[in-house]
Amino acid sequence: MREAPFRGRTSHARSAVAALSFVVASSAVLPALAQPEPAAPPPAAPPPAAPPPAAPPPDAAPDSAPTGATAAPDASASPPIEPAPLDVSVKERREPPSRGASDIPIQVGQLRVVPRKSASSFLTMAPGFFLTNEGGVGHAERIYLRGFDAREGQDVELSLDGVPLNESGNYHGNGIADTGFIIPELVDSVRVTEGPFDPRQGNYAVAGSANYHLGLAQRGLTAKTSYGNFNTARLLFLWGPGDTSNGTFAGAELFTTDGYGQNRDAKRASGMAQYEGAIGDRGSFRILATGYGSQYHQAGPLREDDVKSGKKGFYDTYDTRQGGSSSRFGLSGDVQIKAADVLWSQQVYLSRSTFGLRENLTGFLLDTQEPQQKPHGQRGDLYDLDNRFVTFGAKGSGRISGTVLGQKQELELGYSVRGDHVDALRQRLLDGTNVPYAKDADFSSNLGDFGLFADAQVKPVRWLSFRGGLRGDAFTYDVRNNCAVRTVSRPDPQNPPGDASCLDQQRFGTHREPDQHNTTASVKLMPRGSIIVGPFAGFSFSASAGLGVRSVDPSYVAQDVATPFASVTAFDGGVTFLHAFSSVNVEARSIFFGTHVDRDQIFSETEGRAIIGGGTTRSGWSGSTRLTGDFFDTLTSVTLVQSRFDDTGLLVPYVPDVVVRSDSALFHELPLPTVLNSHFKGSAGLGVNFIGKRALPYGQRSDTIFTLDGQLGVSWKWLTFEMDMQNILGTQYRQAEYNYVSDFKSQPAPTLVAARHFVAGAPRTVLFSLSGNIGGS
Amino acid sequence: MLSRRSFLAMPLALSGAALAEACVGTTGGDLLTFEAFARGPANQTPGAPLTFTSGRGFAVTLTRAKLHVGAVYLNRSRPTSVSSETQCTLAGIYVAEVAGPIDVDVLDPTLQPFSVKGFATTDFAPTGELWLSGGDVNDERDSTVILDLAGTASKDGVDYPFEAALTIGQNRLPAVDDPALPGSKPICKERVVTPIPTSITPSTGGRLVLHVDPAGWFGNVDFTRLEKVGDVYRFHDASDDQPSTNLFHGLRASAGVYSFEWQPKIGGAS
Repeated sequence: MREAPFRGRTSHARSAVAALSFVVASSAVLPALAQPEPAAPPPAAPPPAAPPPAAPPPDAAPDSAPTGATAAPDASASPPIEPAPLDVSVKERREPPSRGASDIPIQVGQLRVVPRKSASSFLTMAPGFFLTNEGGVGHAERIYLRGFDAREGQDVELSLDGVPLNESGNYHGNGIADTGFIIPELVDSVRVTEGPFDPRQGNYAVAGSANYHLGLAQRGLTAKTSYGNFNTARLLFLWGPGDTSNGTFAGAELFTTDGYGQNRDAKRASGMAQYEGAIGDRGSFRILATGYGSQYHQAGPLREDDVKSGKKGFYDTYDTRQGGSSSRFGLSGDVQIKAADVLWSQQVYLSRSTFGLRENLTGFLLDTQEPQQKPHGQRGDLYDLDNRFVTFGAKGSGRISGTVLGQKQELELGYSVRGDHVDALRQRLLDGTNVPYAKDADFSSNLGDFGLFADAQVKPVRWLSFRGGLRGDAFTYDVRNNCAVRTVSRPDPQNPPGDASCLDQQRFGTHREPDQHNTTASVKLMPRGSIIVGPFAGFSFSASAGLGVRSVDPSYVAQDVATPFASVTAFDGGVTFLHAFSSVNVEARSIFFGTHVDRDQIFSETEGRAIIGGGTTRSGWSGSTRLTGDFFDTLTSVTLVQSRFDDTGLLVPYVPDVVVRSDSALFHELPLPTVLNSHFKGSAGLGVNFIGKRALPYGQRSDTIFTLDGQLGVSWKWLTFEMDMQNILGTQYRQAEYNYVSDFKSQPAPTLVAARHFVAGAPRTVLFSLSGNIGGS
Repeated sequence: MLSRRSFLAMPLALSGAALAEACVGTTGGDLLTFEAFARGPANQTPGAPLTFTSGRGFAVTLTRAKLHVGAVYLNRSRPTSVSSETQCTLAGIYVAEVAGPIDVDVLDPTLQPFSVKGFATTDFAPTGELWLSGGDVNDERDSTVILDLAGTASKDGVDYPFEAALTIGQNRLPAVDDPALPGSKPICKERVVTPIPTSITPSTGGRLVLHVDPAGWFGNVDFTRLEKVGDVYRFHDASDDQPSTNLFHGLRASAGVYSFEWQPKIGGAS
């Protein structure tokens, strides 16, 4: 049974009073925020056992939907099945008003039983998402969304309860977002907005945005241990004090695996703790602390011709030094409070993170002979990237509402400020060693992102809403290139630079310092708006349009030259159908969309990073249906899209034009005798992935991908046993395919023509888990 | 007013159209494999010596001419005067490659296959390259014999029976003028014959033929200045006399010696 969010439940009043005392006592630690706790509100009837509620229609909640975005079932529809619970903790948080059919609140709910490798996997519950993980466990997933190759997040604004996750200034790709630190069991819901239609969406919201909302429905103490093939082991502890809201929790996990094939071992550890408290009856606050570290190896791509000839196995690697590491330590806090007719929100966050990556995508190809260097051959292309970030930010808003024409009208003004200090160093390592022989890049940057937005809801009649406004972003760059001079045509013969990468002389040997300081700034104004009509018999229609922006990485900055950020223009039109039948809730949506990007980012295997390309245009359709009943929950989506370059009309490579995803769950008591007066409960989950043939450079198409993932589980009292199986069919598939130039010395002479490469997908993996819960509801 | 059925039918129809649209299109171009061959002059009689008159008026009769080719490449760019002087490879995109060696009997006009298949895109290539190396093009210690010759040159009633066995290694490293630029003249630049003018767009089912006309090797060779060792005049495996230097220059001539031909259909050529 799905629980309403932010509602602690206890079966008797004493627990409720104890919970209140705990909340009040905790709030006292923050005297500036704490308010006298009011008397407990009257008991509310619990939701019926089933079916779980469907997501709200776009304008089902004019005052915006509560976090988690579930429409409260009619309590009168069924009698209470247990003593009335008490609303013991915090006021429900308000989410921004929906932007129509492309604004998709995803409640994980029972679909949690579908096997997922990471928190990123929840994104696939929204139509159009397709994820690959070519870097291995520990590396951020590569995201494809509605015709965008968003790489590891460069085109999708990802946030965790409002805290931005995209890493500005990451040399591997500006805006990479690694969700690996998020413990999947703590993800309550995800709000996905496909397209830049909400003025709150900031930098990187090109293809869209996704905001994770944390919550722990299973209260009490939970311990879960898992073991599976490839020596994969996971230990998870979860804490959810029973008399607090779902927003108060702690979780920690340890994970290790040898990985499949060669060079795919990984280790990670993560911890997250959040406290959510009330500010009287007017609002709430949250404090979240996170810590995460990972270290992993990756196999990297293989040349198809080497695998066909037997020189390499399907799951082999060329270079066992490939891999990476990352860490993230963050602290954030937010408060939401209503005063008179204004809803105030404020949030601050601070994080320290690192991103390390060693990759060799091209073998022995890129080591150019510079005249000042001693003669050398190809010394190996493996690069070692070291990014270090310190990020600080704040955001806030005030939303005022009033009644005009008999309808609720709203206006919200908000801001966001974010500062990043980023150090990025990339070196090339000598083949077979960890000795750097050249430096590709060395930047120290201070980046600023300042956003303002105004968002209004104008509702002249009950069935018509205009939502939108204006967003402005200013990006400031203060970049020190510590390796600004890499070659010199006429060096000083008395002081030759030799093999050094960062030179301190210019033509004719004139001295100069090797670094260069550049600053610039740019401002972008972006109108965004939606029209929502309905609902009529469950149908709501919407049309949206907006502009979005993605900043560039510091390496593109030149003194006083306007920052060449990418602008996206997007529009869509859709219809949503929501209806609660007697035993089934139905949620369906159909969306036609189009986007244009003036400077798209294209990943260059030769560069080993995303580079700025030309303009691209996308158009397509997506549809999804979720059916939720007493014993089942199924969500299916289909997305069809074409992405083309503006100048040639040719397809943008690598993005899938057909994406089909289905998540299904069955859950029920098992027809078995009770033991110690407790029933056995069973659950089964199935995830289906179908990805059509992706366009590859040189007129090629990749293979299709079709995989099934499943889970079977049985629980009794406080024990749960689960068996996860990914790639049930044991399909040997290529999760990523590329055409580019590489030379791994597999031929007698260098290979200089673009050839097919692939990254192997995971074979069948099985993971057995046993978990126990004490003190839960 | 649209009925509910219309509400459903319209998206279905539009989505059907989207599906039809989604699965078409291309990124342009194609990738293909091809067979590659090398041959001597087409008018040469198989098994017979090759006779021609050199640019200096010598009547040259070749009885043995073996050329070791490490690899051949076609490129989409046209080298310019500002092209890199130190890179083994061109800055442009490579269109075709045959990344394996062949020992070409230059006196044989029949098609001699390379040891590996070629690989190509369908882009237009105006430039060809011949890599005259036994292995790593940057390895100065490579002692592979690239050119193995025997024959007789005649002029003014005097015969000059000659032999040559040329390698490209440390013996061909040019002196570095500027000690501050030790890498300004890498050995690979001595091994790569480029730019060879071509006009080729590879296509599926076709094959690449490298034509070698050895007459161009001897264009400026003065056989009278060869050193006689025993019964024959022998080219030095070094650039220390006029004929040896000029034979090596002829070997690396990008015009008049080597040419590439793309034969779209297999079966027509001899």
